[in-house]
Amino acid sequence: MTTAGGSPRSALLPWRGMRITVITELTQPVRYVTQLTMIVTQLALTYWLWRALYAGVKVSAGLDVTQATSYALLGVLYVQLRFVDRWSNGDTMVQLMFEGTIAYWFVRPVSPRRWYLIRMCGDLGYGVAWGLGAYLACRAAGAIAGPPSLAAGGAALLTLALGLVITYYLQVIVDLMCFWSTVNDNAVVAVQFASTLLSGAFAPLWFFPGWFQRANDFLPFQSTLNTPLSLYVGRLPVSALPGQLAVQAGWGAGLGLFTWWLWRRAAARVTVLGG
Amino acid sequence: MRITASRAQPWLRGFLGEWRTALRITATSFRARAQYRGDFITALAMGLAWQTSVLVFATVILTRFPGLGGWTSGGVLLIVAIRLLSHGGFVLVFNSLIMIPYIVQQGALDGYLIRPMPVYRQVLLYTFPLNALGDSFSALLLFAFAIARVHLAWTPLMALYLVAAVIGGVLLEAGIQTFVSILAFRFTMPMAVFMWFDRMIATFGNYPFSILPLAARAFLTYLLPVAFVAYLPAAVLTGRIASTGVPGWLAYASPTAGPLIYILARCAWYRALRRYESVGG
Repeated sequence: MTTAGGSPRSALLPWRGMRITVITELTQPVRYVTQLTMIVTQLALTYWLWRALYAGVKVSAGLDVTQATSYALLGVLYVQLRFVDRWSNGDTMVQLMFEGTIAYWFVRPVSPRRWYLIRMCGDLGYGVAWGLGAYLACRAAGAIAGPPSLAAGGAALLTLALGLVITYYLQVIVDLMCFWSTVNDNAVVAVQFASTLLSGAFAPLWFFPGWFQRANDFLPFQSTLNTPLSLYVGRLPVSALPGQLAVQAGWGAGLGLFTWWLWRRAAARVTVLGG
Repeated sequence: MRITASRAQPWLRGFLGEWRTALRITATSFRARAQYRGDFITALAMGLAWQTSVLVFATVILTRFPGLGGWTSGGVLLIVAIRLLSHGGFVLVFNSLIMIPYIVQQGALDGYLIRPMPVYRQVLLYTFPLNALGDSFSALLLFAFAIARVHLAWTPLMALYLVAAVIGGVLLEAGIQTFVSILAFRFTMPMAVFMWFDRMIATFGNYPFSILPLAARAFLTYLLPVAFVAYLPAAVLTGRIASTGVPGWLAYASPTAGPLIYILARCAWYRALRRYESVGG
């Protein structure tokens, strides 16, 4: 006997929650208009800056002007589009905790872990739509060069997908921190900082000193963006893909296990302020 | 004469009293933030790490791309130092401006309207910006480093100009963010808009703009006045006004841009506040 609750259709129903991000963003023109303005300005200035820096130099840190500019522009897209602002809607984990509405996450027929994933997928989908649009516009304008080969493009896409998985798990850890500490504002900022600077989104990591790059090799951030972008611009050969995939898979599996354990611990100690 | 002095005394007492109140609130906020030790340490470390990374990157860029627009490495470091010091001052005093969207949504602004303290000041006193401690400390370190590297024959007038430039930079950033915060009275504004200007200064404010094409220079000078924060004052101090492409008088007067923009922003802010409608209707 098949019940309505067990059908594949009903299993997919919670995924409609992905629409929340896009609906929220599109119902407030000030959000997407400012987003568009910020992206265009940042991209244009970054392009000019890197072109200007290379005015008297042919190759630096193993990157020529086209590679460095493409890397920097893709980094801008990554930063601009990775973070959907939930804070101003009172929709971050720590805000839900303060307001006590986090309790609803634990009484719904969808597990909190699944609901979190659904919402994050919604954020990612919205970001990717913007990113893809901006990427195509930059390609059409000639600001971002294409990958050196089809294989390099595929490798970049594959490592980007794994990088997003790692970014997701890092975000889970930061968000789940508020189950143990009353405030996590600075931890959120710290992770945003780390994932921006240490991933290469602020500037190509190849320009940083050797000690900085070596120290960074022990952290998960560089594999989230530096690896796919380096493959994309041809700074890393496609032959390096298996090694990079192994590093990413290691981080992904480790962080995945850790967050699975964290979710279990968090569920056992939901605190709704006010009793 | 005695009448003037007796009139001035209550005004001075009132002025000092207001400062005392502000400092007490700040001290209480600081103690409150320091209660969350993990958050406290993270904030300090964050400020230090961020500014140090800016220094590391600036040094690397200077090494890899020497002779940026004809500027010496000391000159470029002076730009970075003025910018960081201005930013440290801005974060220390005006950081709570970014909380305005939240303050409005929570309806807390309604309470501010009936308290015996200017609303803007209450916003500034909303919370103590812990990250400002790390920011300011590293900015001071870098500043000392840059001053030692720039090899300028300092005169009292130049030192005074430098102080004016830093204060001007603080007020310029504060003025821009005050303008931005006006939007929060009417719209559910994303935090990213506040962070945008911050990021624009952090990314582009460290370079001599003479390396950029005309359109970018014009944008960063006349539309989004990042040039007035550090680039133009540094050009004046290092004697490179000609390379800036702006009239000499404007370069010399660059420290006044901040106060002017800030005064305009404060007037606009209070005008907007008069039309503010509570989220509760």
